[in-house]
Amino acid sequence: MNKELTLDMLAGVEKPARYTGGEFGSIVKEEADVRIALAFPDVYEVGMSYLGYKILYHLVNKMEGIAAERVYAPWIDLEQKMRSRQVVLTTLETKRALSEMDLVGFTLQYELSYTNILNMLDLGGVTVKSAQRREEEPFVILGGPCIYNMEPLADFCDLALIGEGEEALPEILTCYRQWKEAGRLGGRRGFLEQAVKIKGVYVPSFYEAGYNPDGTLQETKPVYAGAPVLVEKRVVQDMDTVDFPTAPIVPFEEIIHDRIMLEVFRGCTRGCRFCNAGMIYRPVRERKPAVLEKLARQLVDNTGYNEISLVSLSTADYCCLNSLLDNMILQFKDERVSVSLPSLRIDSFSVDVAKKVQAVRKSGLTFAPEAGSQRMRDVINKGVNEENLMEAVSGAFANGWRKVKLYFMIGLPGETDEDVVAIASLARKVLAQYKKITGKGGAEVTVSVSSFVPKPYTAFQWVPQNSLEELHKKQMLLKDNLKVKGIKYQYHEDHVSIIEGVFARGDRRLGAALYYAWQHGERFDGWQDCFNFDLWQEAFKAAGVQPEFFAARERGEEERFPWEHLSCGVNRAFLWREYQRSKVGQLTPDCRFNACTGCGVCQNLDVKIIEWEDEA
Amino acid sequence: MKLRLQITKDREIRFISHLEYLRTIERAIRRAKLPVAYSEGFNPHMKFSLASALGVGVVSYAEFVEIVMAEPVDPMEAASRLIKALPRGIRVVGVDAVDNSAPALMSVAGGAEYWVTIPYQADCQAAIKAFNETEKLTYAKPAPKSAAKVKEINVKFYIPHVDAVQTGGFLKLRFHCRITAQGSMKAVDLLNTLNQYYHLGLPVELADIERRDLYRVDDMGNMWPMLDSIYTKE
Repeated sequence: MNKELTLDMLAGVEKPARYTGGEFGSIVKEEADVRIALAFPDVYEVGMSYLGYKILYHLVNKMEGIAAERVYAPWIDLEQKMRSRQVVLTTLETKRALSEMDLVGFTLQYELSYTNILNMLDLGGVTVKSAQRREEEPFVILGGPCIYNMEPLADFCDLALIGEGEEALPEILTCYRQWKEAGRLGGRRGFLEQAVKIKGVYVPSFYEAGYNPDGTLQETKPVYAGAPVLVEKRVVQDMDTVDFPTAPIVPFEEIIHDRIMLEVFRGCTRGCRFCNAGMIYRPVRERKPAVLEKLARQLVDNTGYNEISLVSLSTADYCCLNSLLDNMILQFKDERVSVSLPSLRIDSFSVDVAKKVQAVRKSGLTFAPEAGSQRMRDVINKGVNEENLMEAVSGAFANGWRKVKLYFMIGLPGETDEDVVAIASLARKVLAQYKKITGKGGAEVTVSVSSFVPKPYTAFQWVPQNSLEELHKKQMLLKDNLKVKGIKYQYHEDHVSIIEGVFARGDRRLGAALYYAWQHGERFDGWQDCFNFDLWQEAFKAAGVQPEFFAARERGEEERFPWEHLSCGVNRAFLWREYQRSKVGQLTPDCRFNACTGCGVCQNLDVKIIEWEDEA
Repeated sequence: MKLRLQITKDREIRFISHLEYLRTIERAIRRAKLPVAYSEGFNPHMKFSLASALGVGVVSYAEFVEIVMAEPVDPMEAASRLIKALPRGIRVVGVDAVDNSAPALMSVAGGAEYWVTIPYQADCQAAIKAFNETEKLTYAKPAPKSAAKVKEINVKFYIPHVDAVQTGGFLKLRFHCRITAQGSMKAVDLLNTLNQYYHLGLPVELADIERRDLYRVDDMGNMWPMLDSIYTKE
């Protein structure tokens, strides 16, 4: 087996440091009983920015005799050289081929990275289809936010972990070690039968999907008696009881989020109806301010980074944000460590907070009204209005900010041309506000527009995605209305959104299309230069599936979905109710600050909201 | 005071870029909690610099970093703290301290010594001899982005002489390369020059290039070490 990336291979590729490892803080275990690869199906600088793997890497490596090693997708320039010289894909730590690992884990962050999973398995010497994997090959385990609808990947994985990994992954690895030490009792199936007993573990081959004559799903049911009918997600009860890595790897290369990422809380209950993360990470569980301050101290000492980003799905909602910021800024000022927030909600935006975190830098501020008209914002339960936005930008402009970036979506359910044009009007008002506040021109407003993709476990899981033609028409309509000096318009490639939409709500029958597309050269679909829409059409045809069936069809109230045997704890009845409320623009308030909305998570999973208001 | 250190860029990290190398050192300095000086202004940056940039893929045993301290430190003590904070692949091999008024390290580097090992079978002694005897040789280096543009490099000004031995299927080259305030040339471009003028067909991508030394050169052309006092860690 040829594993060596020779001098000339590395000398001839972009960013060779992606492939050589040895970073400060990386953990190399020469001796281990069990090895798991934490594989990320994208390039190094994207994968290294993923907090989930930072957590799992340290958690697993703390375990005696068990090693977690990293592997990323080689960019196409290196892949070409690897294939022509038959060099196998290895981990960065001990340079073992993926085929030499006990388990290979992939995180599902984004539907368009699925082809990379197949490609990495193949490059790593692992049989791509799980049914054909030989006895001694590694087990392929999937996890991550897209896990709730992993059915299109059912043919390629052995098992999946639904939900949070801090407690469940060590359990799976311990189970694996016992099976291995017992002489691989019962072969591959023997391990899967043991693993499926662990809460949150899903073994796709233990289930069968049946279909109705109209092509819709009848049900996904277990064909092995030991497999649960419903696999519920794993959830950490209290964030302060699980380990958070305080000595993460510090890469040589500049990665996407090249700073300390400190998770202040998990979950978000704002209840935006388009948002998958807002459903699957419930409930809100905050870390104590004192815990966060201690973690921050250790992280600064151990990494040498000069920026701490307080991350979560909506950091401005952290109960003790102001005092936490004050304490951290005070503590780290002399060390020239700054504190930053990934994004700010319009309604909780305060100039004071923005001034604190940005310190003296007047770079741009980013807001996400998500929709242009109030009607549309109510449909998606965004819970903000134009006044909130105007107040936020006025405060920012009055305090010296000049650049504002606004995020919007098009293609939302029930959207009319007027709703689309309202995006342009709102952007113009923001631009005009600068002149009003400062008395001069020169503001820069960037309007960034993405195409809405309906996702599983959201109120919009029933709705049809806009067609390519509709999306294109809306993009152009917006373009025509945004030809204004001072406004920059950015929009996403809508072909990519269509494929994302197919896989987001697709089923097992898409596995054949995925395999075909990969075999015919698709990979890095999220990177525009690599994406080939025509090839995907060919792949769907070859697999005998209609992409519109999955993406562009209004689904019936009673239709079973391919993700419903995997549960994030949110009840279907709640989502349906939210969908109905959306149609009449009725708002549903955040359960953190109001009454329980009946989503079902706390009751189904025996968890509760954790806030530390009194600790501040 | 300014702390000066001789550090390495070992084989395992040869593929990190100059910028990545700089950033790695900056973070190590922060982890070591050295009392380093920062610039004034809105966006303060750490006051430290490297004597000379190094190409991606080149191994070096002679990188020199100069760090301006906000308060005096014991050089040995500072070095030992930094050693603990550096990643594998960067070793500290020498340390020195100078007054803030001493000229920047970057401005005093006058030359570098390189060793190149490259798989090569054919005899190239005649070509090396011709290179050494030539008065002037200009290498037209293609610009990175457009093939139409070239940069002319006066190769013999920078590299007057090359020593070569061939053994066991490898060609080994040793040479000194001049560094001036206006710039220098990359070791790999010597190989490109030899290919261009003498049609050697050296497999440039397979060249193992090491910077063995970096030094000062006085008006008389004498070579002097970069650091005045050398401490070597055993």
